[in-house]
Amino acid sequence: MSRQADFLAEILPDLLFGFPGQRPGGLVLSVVLAVVGVGGGLAVGVAVGSALDARARALRLAAEAYVTVFRGIPLVLLLLFVHAVIGSGRLPGLHTTALGSAFVALILYSSSYQADIIRTGLRSVPAGIVDWARLMGSTRWQVYRAVKLPYSLRVMQPALTGQGITLFKDSSVVVIIGVAELTTSARIALGGDVGNAPFWVATYLTVGLLYFAVAFGLSRLGLAGERRWRVRGRIDMVAVAE
Amino acid sequence: MSGWLTPEVAGQLADGLVVTVALTVLTTISSLALGIGVGAARVSGGRMTRRAAGAFVEVFRNVPALIQIIFWAFAFPSAFPTGIRATLFFDNPVVAAAESVTGLSLPYYAFAACLGLTLNTGAHLAELFRAGAGTVARSQVDAARLLGAGPREVQWSIVVPGAVRGAFPAITTRLIHNMKNTALASFVAVPELFQTVQASITQTFRAVELLALAAAVYLGLAAAMGLALQRADVWLHRGRDRVAPS
Repeated sequence: MSRQADFLAEILPDLLFGFPGQRPGGLVLSVVLAVVGVGGGLAVGVAVGSALDARARALRLAAEAYVTVFRGIPLVLLLLFVHAVIGSGRLPGLHTTALGSAFVALILYSSSYQADIIRTGLRSVPAGIVDWARLMGSTRWQVYRAVKLPYSLRVMQPALTGQGITLFKDSSVVVIIGVAELTTSARIALGGDVGNAPFWVATYLTVGLLYFAVAFGLSRLGLAGERRWRVRGRIDMVAVAE
Repeated sequence: MSGWLTPEVAGQLADGLVVTVALTVLTTISSLALGIGVGAARVSGGRMTRRAAGAFVEVFRNVPALIQIIFWAFAFPSAFPTGIRATLFFDNPVVAAAESVTGLSLPYYAFAACLGLTLNTGAHLAELFRAGAGTVARSQVDAARLLGAGPREVQWSIVVPGAVRGAFPAITTRLIHNMKNTALASFVAVPELFQTVQASITQTFRAVELLALAAAVYLGLAAAMGLALQRADVWLHRGRDRVAPS
């Protein structure tokens, strides 16, 4: 039993922060991957989601194709594809590291889900609020920027939080291109050594626990935030409507 | 142009596709059963049952599917001493039978992948089911009770079908996600589509072409599942109007 504890104590810093000389890695890098994926994805997702709700048909169709493609294929396949295209130097002047490819793939993947969420949000804006803002003399663009977009981000906050947590867990598949986040770190720590076989269960339980702690913690935080936002959000929107 | 898609490669990919479809069908059925069972326990079980179901959902939803699959495939067997391990997981009459039926060389890994996917997807479905149960009209339950239905009958004839109906669009999305997640079985040596694609890449060095082809196949599978589940949704709502109960 104490051998188990010793082994875990030895690899825990690697699982949390990455291996010495390759930090940040481990759980920290998993969080970084999720943050970049969610942040970058939101920027793209707002654009694509707005295009999904656009009046121009061509724009809508292009956005629809984007969402269908990136939501319809497994993330692990998308990662390998992106890395094969931009990580191999096959395109002139473009050669990313595995981490760069992971960022790009996660943003593409995340944005397709976020776009769909934002479209739903944009469609849920009460027509009265939009009409009112238009009557006050605002242009379509102003209404979109000052009313529709903030409103949809706010009502869709729970869905966006959930999507972010899902992305954090899904980021484990970057092990396929060797980005040294939590899952990859566990794999490296156990290595090919048959002598490490007794430690597999304890190691993967620890990895599961670390993912669980962050994902479950974030979802609880999201719930708490939701409660606060809901009250404030409602008052703000009433203020807009009046 | 199609020099890389030799009959040999195409055959490998077709074999992989069969395994992917089999994994998808199996885990769709088992996840639905698990999700409905745990979801029902969570909605209308006793206090302890509800707690246990809630803990199950949180644990298996919040740990990545990949970690669960690797755990059951590689970590779990290694908890057993070497001699017992071989007999228990890789070399016994049951495994031999599974081997000859499925044609897989290491059927335990496929089983482990199914187990991991089922626990993960089942937990997600249980949560959706709970949300769906909230859409079942109180008046409908009361009416059934008044007409003399027992709690068990109300549960399985009113609440469960109603919850599945209410949550079906979200269930559809999750089941398609589960289909995509079968690609994770490639990490534990299950020769499904994504694994055969990777094997073909090492033979032909045509990564972009092969991955694009696989992407198209997965898109096709997702579209086919979407259509099939849409039909199921229509069937579930047969003889009902779609107006939400007030």
